Amino acid sequence: MFHEALSQRRISLSKLVYTFITITLLALWVFPLVLTIFTSVKTNAEMLLAGPLAIPQEPTLKAFARAWDVLNFNVLLGNSLLYAFAGTSLAIILALLPAYALSRFHIPGGGLIFVVLLTGMMLPQQTVVLPLYDVLRKLHLLDSKWGLIMVHGMYGLPLVLLILRGFMVGIPQELESAARIDGCSDVGVFRHVILPLVTPAVAVAFALNFINIWNEFFFALIFLNSAENLPITVGILKVTQDQYFSSWNLPAAALLMAQLPTVILYILAYRWITQGIYSGAVKG
Amino acid sequence: MSGIIKTGNSRGLPSARQGRVAAIWRAAKRHWFVYGGGIILPLILYTIFIGYPILKTLYLSLTEWNGLDPQVTMVGLNNYRTLLEDPIFKVSFINNVKWASLTLLFPVVAGLLFAVFLHSGKVYFASVFRSALFLPATMSLVAIGIMFALILNPIFGALNEGLRAIGLGFLTHDWLGDPDTALYTLLFVFGWFYTGLPLMLFHAGISEIPPELFEAAKIEGANGLQTFWYVTLPSLKPVTTVITMLTVITSLKAFDLVMVMTRGGPFNQTSVLGYFMYTESFWNYRFGYGAAISVVILLLSSVFAAIYLRNVAGESLYVS
Repeated sequence: MFHEALSQRRISLSKLVYTFITITLLALWVFPLVLTIFTSVKTNAEMLLAGPLAIPQEPTLKAFARAWDVLNFNVLLGNSLLYAFAGTSLAIILALLPAYALSRFHIPGGGLIFVVLLTGMMLPQQTVVLPLYDVLRKLHLLDSKWGLIMVHGMYGLPLVLLILRGFMVGIPQELESAARIDGCSDVGVFRHVILPLVTPAVAVAFALNFINIWNEFFFALIFLNSAENLPITVGILKVTQDQYFSSWNLPAAALLMAQLPTVILYILAYRWITQGIYSGAVKG
Repeated sequence: MSGIIKTGNSRGLPSARQGRVAAIWRAAKRHWFVYGGGIILPLILYTIFIGYPILKTLYLSLTEWNGLDPQVTMVGLNNYRTLLEDPIFKVSFINNVKWASLTLLFPVVAGLLFAVFLHSGKVYFASVFRSALFLPATMSLVAIGIMFALILNPIFGALNEGLRAIGLGFLTHDWLGDPDTALYTLLFVFGWFYTGLPLMLFHAGISEIPPELFEAAKIEGANGLQTFWYVTLPSLKPVTTVITMLTVITSLKAFDLVMVMTRGGPFNQTSVLGYFMYTESFWNYRFGYGAAISVVILLLSSVFAAIYLRNVAGESLYVS
């Protein structure tokens, strides 16, 4: 009785204990990130004297500046932004109409077409990379920004399609019927009914796909060569060379800078991203 | 209906099949926008960027080709025969199996436990915890690889330093340099990255269980463990299938961490199929051999992908 009253009215003791345990677990969980931040702001002298675990005494951002110069970071950052933004936009543009067609029309074989389009999502990249390499070379799109954007657009399509279609299925038929009575054609319904309503799902798909492309490594590694085309994930590999890696703070600073944009996006779009993960993986 | 259609068979009677084709054709003409942009265009792009490459990979696996030469030699199943005798293939294959099973065993189970625990209402700020646990899953494996390469470094790494500091100095180790521990170290790092995904999916799955079920269990006098075993777990079956398939496929895709942290070493002990395929194709210029490895990856993943797609898109196959 007493316990019940306590848990209803005031802070519950057991809950506090559990919360404390969870905080401890979580501290361990994010500890690698904390360590990396420590390492990035320590000078080499401090690292040698106090070791990697000590809290930095004289934090300095010099390693960030050096990493920026060594990696030509502005170029990498610009490229990664371009690939993530353009690739995602292309995927969404390509996926909007199939999502519309496969959610609101009786298409003969529609279910099969849907599954076929989704296979791109499940395919390990290694199974298509050799012929794609050849296709891009023939189209003179090897080591070209546009080539990689096209590939990202196509391989982003399935996830976006899954999210958008799942959302469009839920749009009430009455809205569409009303528009049709008003004389709207397919184009009109799509523009005036579907598009305005589907914006939240587009935002979800955008955030999720943006992060996916930002973190993508294999295609960029294979299809690109020139330094001026590389995204961050490939360009940053330079810090694993001995001369840079052994300075400790430089690789730490570089990887923090490389991941900062998606961390910010994750914090801002947390709800969208987690919702998109679910509808993109389970619900369809 | 079909009487209006002009196309009939030789006796002037329109067959059902022709009627159907004509009906589709009329629908496609009327809904040109939907069929053109929503079906035909994506299918064409799919053929160029996905369908053709898959078929071409199958073809290439039967050839010997250096990737540049116009000369492509057919060699039949030779590449596959060579594969069966290649010790690196064997190691890579076994490593992929280990990768999948250990990821299912640790990060996925951990994700489930975290999800159940954080959903139980026993903790304050549960959603903050969830978002923090998921954070690594939004990072690139390249950045994560560099991060842990620093932490695990035998000379200045924080892990060995920490072990020494708490009096466990005898455990210090060259984690990535020792062939016996290298793969498990990679898997540990991968687990840190991966746990957030099953956590989020299980969480969403648990949230969809009707609260009445939990109340009924409570009234029946079930304890926490019984509720978990008899209510939560059975309700999570569809999500569990999806996560299992997703995990196996993700494991077959493993490449980034290996590339960044070990390059397959030491002595190829951390090689996986994805990485083996990469080195054979793009370092040794054996495109045909690389394609054969790709086909193995494709065959392995397609089984799991089929089950996955049936779960995710299954109901939509019957949607009007």
